[in-house]
Amino acid sequence: MSDRPPRPAVLASDRLPRPAVLAAVAVAAVLLAFPFYLDSFWLQTGLFAMSAAIGAIGLNLLTGATGQLSLGHAFFLAVGAYGYVYLASDGESRPGHELAGLGLPTPVAFLGAVLLAGAAGGLFSPIAGRLRGTYLGIASLALIFIGQHVLFNAEPLTGGFNGRDVPPLALPGVTFADSPELVVFNVPLGALERLWFLGLALLALAAWLARGILRGRPGRALNTIRDHEVAAAVLGVPVARYRAGVFVLSSMYAGAAGALLALVFRRTVPEYFGMFLSLDYLAMIVIGGLGTAAGAVAGAVFVTLLPQLLTRYSDGLPLVAAPGSGGVSPAEAARVLYGAAVVAVVLFLPGGLLGMWARLRAVRARRRAAPPHPGLDQKEQPA
Amino acid sequence: MSTFAELLVNGISMGSVYALIALGFVIIFRATEVVNFAHASLLLVGGYITAVLHDDVGFLLALAAGIAGAALVGAAVELLVLRRARVENHAVLAIVTIGVDIVLTTELTRQIGTEVLSLGDPWQSKVVNIGSVSIAQTRIAALLTAAALITVFLLAFRHTSWGLAMRTAAEDAETAALMGVRLTRVSLGAWAVAGALAAVAALFLTVFPTPGLDRATSFAAMKAFPAAILGGLDSTTGALAGGLIIGLTESLVTGYQGDLAFLGRGVGEVAPYLVMLAVLLVRPAGLFGTRELTRV
Amino acid sequence: MSGAEEADAVSKAEEVDAVSEPEAAELAVTGLTVRFAGLTALDDVAFTVRPGTVHAIIGPNGAGKSTCFNVLSGVYRATAGSVRLGDRELTGLKPHRIAALGVARTFQNLALSSLQSVEDTLMLGRHRLTRAGFASAGLRLPTARREDARHRDRVREIARFVGVSEYLAAPAGTLPYGVQKRVELARALAMEPRLLLLDEPVAGMNAGERRRMAEVIMAARADLGLSILLVEHDMGLVMRLADRVTVLDFGRRIACGAPADVQRDPAVVRAYLGGAHHRDEPGRDEPEGETA
Repeated sequence: MSDRPPRPAVLASDRLPRPAVLAAVAVAAVLLAFPFYLDSFWLQTGLFAMSAAIGAIGLNLLTGATGQLSLGHAFFLAVGAYGYVYLASDGESRPGHELAGLGLPTPVAFLGAVLLAGAAGGLFSPIAGRLRGTYLGIASLALIFIGQHVLFNAEPLTGGFNGRDVPPLALPGVTFADSPELVVFNVPLGALERLWFLGLALLALAAWLARGILRGRPGRALNTIRDHEVAAAVLGVPVARYRAGVFVLSSMYAGAAGALLALVFRRTVPEYFGMFLSLDYLAMIVIGGLGTAAGAVAGAVFVTLLPQLLTRYSDGLPLVAAPGSGGVSPAEAARVLYGAAVVAVVLFLPGGLLGMWARLRAVRARRRAAPPHPGLDQKEQPA
Repeated sequence: MSTFAELLVNGISMGSVYALIALGFVIIFRATEVVNFAHASLLLVGGYITAVLHDDVGFLLALAAGIAGAALVGAAVELLVLRRARVENHAVLAIVTIGVDIVLTTELTRQIGTEVLSLGDPWQSKVVNIGSVSIAQTRIAALLTAAALITVFLLAFRHTSWGLAMRTAAEDAETAALMGVRLTRVSLGAWAVAGALAAVAALFLTVFPTPGLDRATSFAAMKAFPAAILGGLDSTTGALAGGLIIGLTESLVTGYQGDLAFLGRGVGEVAPYLVMLAVLLVRPAGLFGTRELTRV
Repeated sequence: MSGAEEADAVSKAEEVDAVSEPEAAELAVTGLTVRFAGLTALDDVAFTVRPGTVHAIIGPNGAGKSTCFNVLSGVYRATAGSVRLGDRELTGLKPHRIAALGVARTFQNLALSSLQSVEDTLMLGRHRLTRAGFASAGLRLPTARREDARHRDRVREIARFVGVSEYLAAPAGTLPYGVQKRVELARALAMEPRLLLLDEPVAGMNAGERRRMAEVIMAARADLGLSILLVEHDMGLVMRLADRVTVLDFGRRIACGAPADVQRDPAVVRAYLGGAHHRDEPGRDEPEGETA
């Protein structure tokens, strides 16, 4: 992750102290080195986490920063994933098996998928702009059910129950597939290794954009809509347009996440994009920390890694049984754990993982040199 | 014509069951301003308890236990979780209930597994014939029970001190507290009542012609969400109207699915949500919802 | 995304005519009536705020003062009547359109984002004067960066003017109440308004805080040349600041005139001293002449 290390937004200046720069460089170097050492299981898990992080950043712009709840995030991931497949695939026409496709160059298809998701968000904006907070949460349930219905029924587009194959992305010079072979430093880089670098680049871009938005003029407007809608309106913020705008933006993030996910899975299947996926994303942003890009990334990594870790090490863990053996399966255990984590974070850890990190840093800083809090405790001076 | 009549009766019957769930949802919202996404899992709790117990203690006792269990779990969620969450952002409270829902639903669907559980109701698949119209007894029982419960609830809401406290709390929590309304009790009561209503609804969501309680039951229960919001989240009348609209829509669209084949299989599952969107486009606050006056 | 930018473009266009006409405009309220569900909160209220003056609205609790503010700023819809600023009709406009015409307000109960820094809070006041959208802020385009720097400078000036510069980096929610009230005023001033609506600017403050707030308000009026409409219970402050006073009771205007005349008006005395409803006595807070 090449994003700067997380810190509380209100105290942050845009200039980083030296150690932080060094730490960022070190983290980036480690992340870039992973494909040379990790096996495909971990690479795939890492890529899922990156895709989830991109999607979670989008949802955090909407829910964390603006206070607009959405249960429809999975729908926009689906639009991104299937949009890419449709735009990039050549149509197939065998008897009883019709699949539509535009056969566009794959980078164009990827971009198109993001725009398509944004357009889908725009179609929903008459509702997204006018409904506030939790009302939107309920209304957006509709997207899940409509999405599932379309995915299963619009067979020429989606392949129906069986889903569709995902054509690999091909940039000039490099194709994100196992062939043709590519060897760097004596390590053969297959599809996952190559996608890893793509995923990192996309995530860095997504986080950088979100950070700029959140710290700039739109971010201030969105935060104020969340905290005090009337104040925002009276200060000149067109509330409905901003709500609709951030909904479109978060849909585009979800679209990018969905398209990346499709590239990693190499096949899109409809049931993946259901209710539970939307709930996962909400869990991510609450656990990681609401309202910031870094929080979304932290939560995405946590929620994605947890089931994978439990699966990998289920033998060594008490209470967790192998899948199908009747006990608590790793997937179920992970689900219960992060459901409980959502509750625990709100009750005991306001600010999520990121908030915990910020508090730890604050404690450390205070230990190093107990500086007075300038201005905060000062009494009002008589004039 | 008889098909239409059957669909109509079934729709109204299902609608009244959705109304029961939506009513609970609305009273939680009115009392605490929390949108309770764990509502479907409360329903699952009630249904599961009834399903497990009915062989040993008989149907009525099992149902009573299910109702009590769901009410207790609802109260526990309020007491242990929501009361302790000190957040201003209502979206965050809603996400907390999602966390609760994930835990409860995961555990219950794990217990249920791939089975389809019967709740041991006395009506089974018996049918009443009126002329050429045949209606399942379960649908009639659902309609009568829901109507009775809703009547009792609304009377209590209008005429008892509990109802008065609830309404005052919803109007203006601060004033209510000053007037001696114990807000904590009001919200605890709301959660318990909502759980109890959901447990009754669980029975009627899983009886004939539905095969029984299974993993999909919570999805059926979720139709109460569009019912509640299209009626207006803060309106009990709205919950009733919303429930009926959703029930009728689902029943009619599913019934005439053959004529709607171009919309794809299972369009009856989606239709309620489409109706909800259509209503919200015209009336963002729902049919009977008040556009809340912002206090500044 | 494009929607928000389009909105910005619109407010920019309106900003241009606000800038081309920077002098304060006359606010004329006529026949203003507001009813909610059978309750009449304002009944045929009329008053005029002349450019560059301070006009106070006073009255017992529940007289309709806050309702009046909410209509002027577009939060509530008027049932009947007209509110004109210069030659623009305000009734029926959305709050952000009214803000774009140069109307700023503060709130009786604080309406700050408690986690936002004071500097960011004031930058929000610049919203109508700036235009960076999702794309230009996300990409950190040079236009957005320059705009940000320019407006940050102005915001720091305003913070100094109001006396909150030392708190610029602090989250607004951590500050003492009196400072938060001043931050709200600074945020409103950051909008470079032609008309400033102050809803109980010194409520809940101690004597020192009140004095400072009064000084800032007087300086704002003198240096920035804006018109001020003030709702306040503190009669000392009203008498000192206001050029004219309108008195509301049960949603009706019962008096209007210079402060000294209004204070002696028998109808006003009756409204404050008689009647069965809860009231605030005039001059309860601060003996007049304490500050000079």
